[in-house]
Amino acid sequence: MTGSYAEVFFLAFFGIAAIWFGIVVFRTHSMVRSAMALLFSQTAVGAMFLVMQAEFLGVLQLMMMATEMSVMALFMVMFMMDPGGMGAMDMSHQKRLSLWAGGIGLVAALAVSWLPDWGPVAQNIPDASRQIELLGIELLGRSMFIFESAGLTILTAMIAATMVAIAPRKTGEDA
Amino acid sequence: MIVELSVALGIGAGLFGVGLYGALSQTNLVMIIMGVELILAAALVNLVAFWRYLHPDAMSGQMFFLIVMTVMAVEMTVGFGIAIARFRSRGSVEMEEARELKG
Amino acid sequence: MTPLALTLLAPLLAALLIFASRRMPEALALVGVALGLIGAVGQLIGVAGGGASSVILTFLPDMPIRLIATPLTAILSLVVATVSGFVVLYAVGYMRHDPQKIRFFGTLLLFVTAMQGLVLSGDWITLLGAWELIGFASYLLIGFWHDRAGVAGAATRAFLYTRSADLGLYIGAFVLIGASGTSEISTTLATTGTPALIAGLLLLVAAMGKSAQVPLQDWLQRAMAGPTPVSALLHSATLVAAGAILLIRTAPMLPGGALVAIGIVGGVTAVITGLIALAEKDLKRLLAASTSSQYGLMLVAVGAGAPIAALLHLIAHAAIKSSLFLGAGVFQHDRDGTDLDALSGAGRARPGIFAGFALSALALAGIPPLAGFFSKDAVIAAALASPAAAWLVPLALAATVLTGAYMGRALHVLWAGNNVARPKPVPFMAAGLGVLVVLAAVLALGFGPLEHLLDAELVEAGLLAPALGLTAALSGLALGWLVKPRRLMGPVFGWAQRGFAVFGGMETFVARPALAIATACEHLERWLYDWVLGFGRINLSLGWLARKIDITGIDGFIFGLVRQTINAGSRLRKLQSGFIHREMALAVIGMAVIVAILLAAPLYS
Repeated sequence: MTGSYAEVFFLAFFGIAAIWFGIVVFRTHSMVRSAMALLFSQTAVGAMFLVMQAEFLGVLQLMMMATEMSVMALFMVMFMMDPGGMGAMDMSHQKRLSLWAGGIGLVAALAVSWLPDWGPVAQNIPDASRQIELLGIELLGRSMFIFESAGLTILTAMIAATMVAIAPRKTGEDA
Repeated sequence: MIVELSVALGIGAGLFGVGLYGALSQTNLVMIIMGVELILAAALVNLVAFWRYLHPDAMSGQMFFLIVMTVMAVEMTVGFGIAIARFRSRGSVEMEEARELKG
Repeated sequence: MTPLALTLLAPLLAALLIFASRRMPEALALVGVALGLIGAVGQLIGVAGGGASSVILTFLPDMPIRLIATPLTAILSLVVATVSGFVVLYAVGYMRHDPQKIRFFGTLLLFVTAMQGLVLSGDWITLLGAWELIGFASYLLIGFWHDRAGVAGAATRAFLYTRSADLGLYIGAFVLIGASGTSEISTTLATTGTPALIAGLLLLVAAMGKSAQVPLQDWLQRAMAGPTPVSALLHSATLVAAGAILLIRTAPMLPGGALVAIGIVGGVTAVITGLIALAEKDLKRLLAASTSSQYGLMLVAVGAGAPIAALLHLIAHAAIKSSLFLGAGVFQHDRDGTDLDALSGAGRARPGIFAGFALSALALAGIPPLAGFFSKDAVIAAALASPAAAWLVPLALAATVLTGAYMGRALHVLWAGNNVARPKPVPFMAAGLGVLVVLAAVLALGFGPLEHLLDAELVEAGLLAPALGLTAALSGLALGWLVKPRRLMGPVFGWAQRGFAVFGGMETFVARPALAIATACEHLERWLYDWVLGFGRINLSLGWLARKIDITGIDGFIFGLVRQTINAGSRLRKLQSGFIHREMALAVIGMAVIVAILLAAPLYS
């Protein structure tokens, strides 16, 4: 277990960072700051993936989340009435219920995760290039159907979002 | 008892709890979407942890990850489209004012 | 056959026409009885040679309705037709001012039909039916003026007393039918032995009831509450004759023991009712008691073994007594009542009517050459010749004396006082009365041919019977004219005035129990009716209860269920708040529940 201590340490470090930034998301009054905090949280999650030697997945996570959080920040500014968080209004409701839900969810997840015996650690991990190779074979082989349907789903979502977001045209007016 | 796995799963649990709290307690649609992002991130962490520490040979774990990632992207896309439409018709995306479906 | 049909159908059709058309009752009645009389005469001529014509109508199996006209029945039928004819003529004048003429003449003609049916009946069933009908007609006619005080009670009591004796006829008739196997009267007369004795005694009971013999004589007195034509027709010549007719017809069958009983009953009745007649204060009641007395004499004749004598006396009595009653009716119209004190001198005011009355009275007493002398003669002669002469002769002679006595008294009262102005003439009443008086006088001439017709010989008793009879009659008349009844009768007078009632008489033994039973039956009926109504009410309330349960219970339950559902729905509505965060919270809770169920799978699978 040579790399295990380092692994555990970095896992814990990035994990706690992710959680802490997650909390910041909901505690700060500034909208942009919450977007940024979310970005950092996701980045920490991506780092965790890298620590767990899932290089492709980690990179994917980092790239995608960066883009998404930026877009989210834009939307924040567009739609929020107080993006800077200058006002001191509390923008939350059913706090107790949510706290309880969150708490119970946390405890339940921890119980389910920690109580059972998951078995021994797997030792042989393919290296990164091998992982990509295997993933590619998996993707275009056994999971072809899932991949295709995922692609179709994305297409549908894009069209749907565009349709929803297009301003309705008033009849009888010049385009 | 695998320590790393426990830590990773614990982190996942923590993210899940925070995300749930946020999803339920925020008034703004975008903030709710953020909460859902955090929940999905927790799912991803769990997935990768299980893949890495129990079955690193089976690529179906990474496949699952990709699907969840797809779901995240799709959800955000459609969600923001709805937010734009709502903003256009109402002028805000505050969920407190969205009572039209009251029964 | 045709004269027989005419005799029966003419009065019947006249009665029905009177009731149906409700007009010209007098004319229809006169036509009816006239045709009936023609029919009776034709009938008698038809059977004069000794033959018999009969009519048979089907009724019950083995027991058809038989109507038979033998010389005996034809003679009786003629008597009925004659008396009824002239009484109806009289009644035209008597009922002139009465508003209910239709009912009167109709019922009277129905009675005539029933009486003819009785007289001409050839089998027991018909006789029983006719017996009942004449009793019913008598009830209706006695109670004709039912709004007057006491009349309804008199009619009821008369009916009840005679009915109580009719039981004898029923049982006697059925004994005879059972003993001989058929209901034809002539065949049943061949019965002998114990059934004959029993039947004879029972028939005597029936005759005692109908002919007002002791101890059942009171009803005839009460029956005088009816109109005088009714008294003249029913209660002197026809209805009360039914008992004597019954005994005369069944005489061939009666054994010695029964005959003795009949004779004793007749004799005792003749004396006792004679005393009652002497003590009476009312002319009609006097005549009624006299009727019982004369029928007692007829029963003496039957008991002596000479039914022909009884028949002759019956015929003579029919004419005599009906004319006496008709005369009394005229006086009643004059003085508005029949009390002897009120009638004092009524005879002197109407000499013609009084002459007729006196003639009939003398005939009744037995003065020759009037009809009564010959018939009473025959009765005394028969009594002398019978085996029980020691009993019968004294009774018969005493009765004759009493007859003279009370008739003398009546004549004395009517002739008293001075001559007063002549009242209004009464043509119809005088006509009816006159014919019957003439008949009473000259009927003796017909007795010879009658005996010839019936192929019977009367016992010749030489001069003894006529001598005894004449002496008794003259002494009686003298006593009655000269001596007041109170002095004559002495200590018996008070008791005789009350009709010799013993222990309360028939009132206690028959009337009160019968009426009490009737009231009890009415109470029972009322109780049953109430009970049935109550039962019905229970069912009704059950129905109401069921309805109430349905409305409040079942409907309430169902509508309550509806209301609860609506309330629950409106409460559940609050879940649908429209808030996204609420919806999400609900989704989270639902998911947690599902996950819990799934995670707990090892426990229940």
